Amino acid sequence: MAIDFSIVREAVPVLLDGLRVTALVSAIGIPLGVVAGIVAAYAAQSRTFLKPVALAYVELVRNIPYLILVYLSFFGLPKLGIGASAMTVAIGCTVFYTGGYFSEILRAALRSVPRGQTQASLSLGMTFWQTQRHVIAPQLFGYVTPPTTSLVIMMFKDSAIFSVMSLPEMTYQSNLLTANTFAYVEVLGTTALIYWICSVLLASVGRRLETAIGRRARHV
Amino acid sequence: MLNWFGKGGVIAPFLDGVVSGTALTLAASACAFVIGLALGVVLLLARMSPFGPLRALVVLWVSLIRGTPALIHMLIAYYMVPALLNISISPVTAGIAALACNTSAYIVEILRGSLGTISWGQRAAGYALGMRTAQVWRHVLLPQMIYRAIPPLTSEFTLLLKASSLMSIIAVPELATVARNATLQTDLPLQVFTITAAVYFLILFCISAVSRVCERRVSRMLPHGH
Repeated sequence: MAIDFSIVREAVPVLLDGLRVTALVSAIGIPLGVVAGIVAAYAAQSRTFLKPVALAYVELVRNIPYLILVYLSFFGLPKLGIGASAMTVAIGCTVFYTGGYFSEILRAALRSVPRGQTQASLSLGMTFWQTQRHVIAPQLFGYVTPPTTSLVIMMFKDSAIFSVMSLPEMTYQSNLLTANTFAYVEVLGTTALIYWICSVLLASVGRRLETAIGRRARHV
Repeated sequence: MLNWFGKGGVIAPFLDGVVSGTALTLAASACAFVIGLALGVVLLLARMSPFGPLRALVVLWVSLIRGTPALIHMLIAYYMVPALLNISISPVTAGIAALACNTSAYIVEILRGSLGTISWGQRAAGYALGMRTAQVWRHVLLPQMIYRAIPPLTSEFTLLLKASSLMSIIAVPELATVARNATLQTDLPLQVFTITAAVYFLILFCISAVSRVCERRVSRMLPHGH
């Protein structure tokens, strides 16, 4: 079968409109999720009631499909009187999921810094947070960057799931286009290509960050 | 509490559906995983071949799959591939094919990682004993490689099982579809999706627990330094 490039030409601007929404959700949700992940990782390290809460949170994220989380938030929560727009739910779900995975990444990184360093810093009279800021954190970037790049790409891609609540992101636009034109090959092919280009770009940013961090670590 | 589940047992049909939905979720995931693993091994052999274009093709496959959403894979398998080849396929077949292709790209990287932990000396030893390349792979490299890859493979399986919920997009009657349909019939989305989430949680939590046991076993069996 022949590919109709006039459909591709018409689809691209519509899909790029959708990509703007996809990018907006990711750009707000993923950084907030990283913050949530940092909080959860330190809570999981603490010896307070926060520890089981943080561990339960991570288990929920690891063991519930994203789609079900989106369904539950978008269709279920309004029954409790917590209704929100598709955009808010999308950002909320991104934050929730990114946070759980990032806290796992950060905990693994924290474990890889020898305990003796914390003890040494504390015995030098530094406070807990000074130790974290000046001794532990600078070493974490190298460990955290590669898996975080994968996580960012994963969350960016999984935003396609928000099409189930009619959020006008790229997959939703693609579904509308295929419903109108039945040009599955052209539209889906173009959509996949745009996702792929974005993922490749994100991956290359991640690699650059890695080499930059590696270079700085050697200089120190 | 009973009232929470709706008056007159409106949720009862859903609870029946959960069983068949869960069965299909598990069966389709297992099927896709086995096919994905076989495909992953083939892709690994191609990735390690001395023929450059073949290696490049695998790299491209992995990059394409890992760079696009699993949801799009579902749509491609169900709508685009049949349109391209002028065939028609059932949603279940399309769903399993999409999941298998998806997981194969991750599995080939896992296997490549675990192959990297087997020292080159073993391959050399195989050749020195007069084995042919196929024999070295069959008897020396593959068994060790798969064994070392068991922990990451089980965690890949949990990801696959989570992704299997996306089959609901193409109306495969698995757990997520059963849940979605039940909410349309009963208007109890909170209850239905909470139960669904709990079922997924239970299954995935058990698999993760098994995976942790495997990980301990495997790390105990491996020679020190690995």
